[in-house]
Amino acid sequence: MSFTLLLVIVTAVVVASVGVYGLTSSRNFVRQLLSLEVIFNAIILLIAVMLASGPAVATFLLVVLVLIVSGEVVVIMALVISAYRSGKSLESEILGEEGV
Amino acid sequence: MVWEPVETILAALLSISLVLVALLVVTVKDLVYASLLLAVLGALTASFVALLGYYLVAAFIIIVYVGAAVMFIIITVSMLGGGGLESRDHLKGAVVASLSLVVLLAVFLSYFRVPEVGLPLYVDVAGLIDRVVVEYIPVIAIILVALAATIIEAIAVARRG
Repeated sequence: MSFTLLLVIVTAVVVASVGVYGLTSSRNFVRQLLSLEVIFNAIILLIAVMLASGPAVATFLLVVLVLIVSGEVVVIMALVISAYRSGKSLESEILGEEGV
Repeated sequence: MVWEPVETILAALLSISLVLVALLVVTVKDLVYASLLLAVLGALTASFVALLGYYLVAAFIIIVYVGAAVMFIIITVSMLGGGGLESRDHLKGAVVASLSLVVLLAVFLSYFRVPEVGLPLYVDVAGLIDRVVVEYIPVIAIILVALAATIIEAIAVARRG
């Protein structure tokens, strides 16, 4: 295993764990979305290494992945705006109590 | 092609920067600054991907992800003003993150075999686009229609509140 690819894998795993930390420690919707995006960045790196033997397939997959995540960001931010209008808060527990 | 030592040092620096910026994204108190740091994280990821040889993907990440999606997050968070105080459970987060770090490292370093390839990778972009246009037009059409439907749904959800 080459040192550089090993470095990419370890970096991606550490970044994904940092994202998991943000996702589980906070109850704020926006912070949870930002943590999800951190995990997404780690997944980009992992796919780039895992499919290194077929870079054309990896390129196509990564382009589609970026498109899908951009759509996901738009939907989640729309939900955040809607929830903030209803509850004046971004805490997920308060929003759950108010049935948003 | 063989990687030069300069590029290996650059990869190490990018790795350290990625981890530090990711930590800042999840720990900085102000959500606007956290969103701005997410844009930096996306740019660093694009740099890393370009260093590996995926130049088209790097350009796509910068233009579509950082330039549109993350900018949308920054503008929305700025408009909402952060959403008030944030309650956090650091112990639970640290335990789950440590467990996921150990499990992911064990899985990837034990079971996953990294392909022996020369870096930077060579991607035949013209051949890829030819193949996509000839063979995968229905797939591209479905993806674009699904994205359009998603955006219309997002607009409907945002207006409903």
